[in-house]
Amino acid sequence: MVAKTDVFVAISIAIFVLSLAYITSLGGLGPLPPVDVRDIAYQYLNLTYNPWRRFLTSFALESVTAIIWDFRGLDTLYETAVFYGAIIASIALYRGVKITHSRGGTGLSPIAKTVTRLSFVLIPTVAASVALHGHLTPGGGFQAGSIATVVIVLAIIVFSRYFLPGHGLSKERALLLRSIGLLGVGLTSIGLLLISFLLGVNAYIFQNQAKLDAPLSYPSLVDDYTLGGSLLFFNLSEFIAVAFGFMIVFLLLSVSEEDVREVVTRD
Amino acid sequence: MIVVLEVFTLALLTLFALTSVVAAYLAIRERDLVRAVVFSAIQSSMYALIYYVLMAPDIVLVYIPVSVGLIPAVLLFVIKKTERYEGE
Repeated sequence: MVAKTDVFVAISIAIFVLSLAYITSLGGLGPLPPVDVRDIAYQYLNLTYNPWRRFLTSFALESVTAIIWDFRGLDTLYETAVFYGAIIASIALYRGVKITHSRGGTGLSPIAKTVTRLSFVLIPTVAASVALHGHLTPGGGFQAGSIATVVIVLAIIVFSRYFLPGHGLSKERALLLRSIGLLGVGLTSIGLLLISFLLGVNAYIFQNQAKLDAPLSYPSLVDDYTLGGSLLFFNLSEFIAVAFGFMIVFLLLSVSEEDVREVVTRD
Repeated sequence: MIVVLEVFTLALLTLFALTSVVAAYLAIRERDLVRAVVFSAIQSSMYALIYYVLMAPDIVLVYIPVSVGLIPAVLLFVIKKTERYEGE
């Protein structure tokens, strides 16, 4: 039951927010940003897919993914590294905690389990399509990874935390898969550089398409299907890394507090 | 026609923004932390709708699973480890 004072306070906050928005729209809190497309945005939009400027384009159809993994790719690599470090930290916090198979966690009712079983097919399909079409339509690796994590959380909550380890997806295996994803990101970012060492030509880190002084490029078109060069590989690797990274965190969080305390106080 | 669309967009944005403000207030007020998490998820879904209206579908795709799925899940796990009701 919502009290009268709550309604009063909510309305007052709403009026305050509205007046603040009005003042901002008039430029009262600093100069307003320009309405027209800025020069840098124009360049990005122009170069995302531009066969007439072959040495500058990324041959993707989605400019956000092109910016994230090609034009500003190094930024995203460091973000991925931060995410990697955060997961490492959570694993270090829970060191020594075991997710055993023995205790009989049975999960929720059969109705909830049946509904969740349907989502075991549907949500990963959506996630895979978001990852594989990340260079064509809105989406990408991180989006797909977080969508896939929803199904992992559902499995842990509805089927109990022993369900995933019991079906072969233990914490250690998730760690391995996540490392494979990160290795994919790393290898894709230096892939052309490694090949250039063999061929004796010039190449850059995070190079996607050929530049004026670096002739190598990732495949951009396979039988009329736009691949976006390295973007597809980046999206796939990031998808695996994010999904299994989140999975480790949720598996560790689901361990009951008594078990964790037992391990922590033992040290 | 363009003016009508603009007004419609602004009206939608205002509606979502105000709903999110109310949900945020309720989330802070609520003593039952599980309900507070639900209010917080409502607030986040309003933000997701705002991103959609502002034509940022990439952000919407990551915002919905993270803010409605993962953050409430983390918070519920954490609440399970402490207490459900906030004391005086």
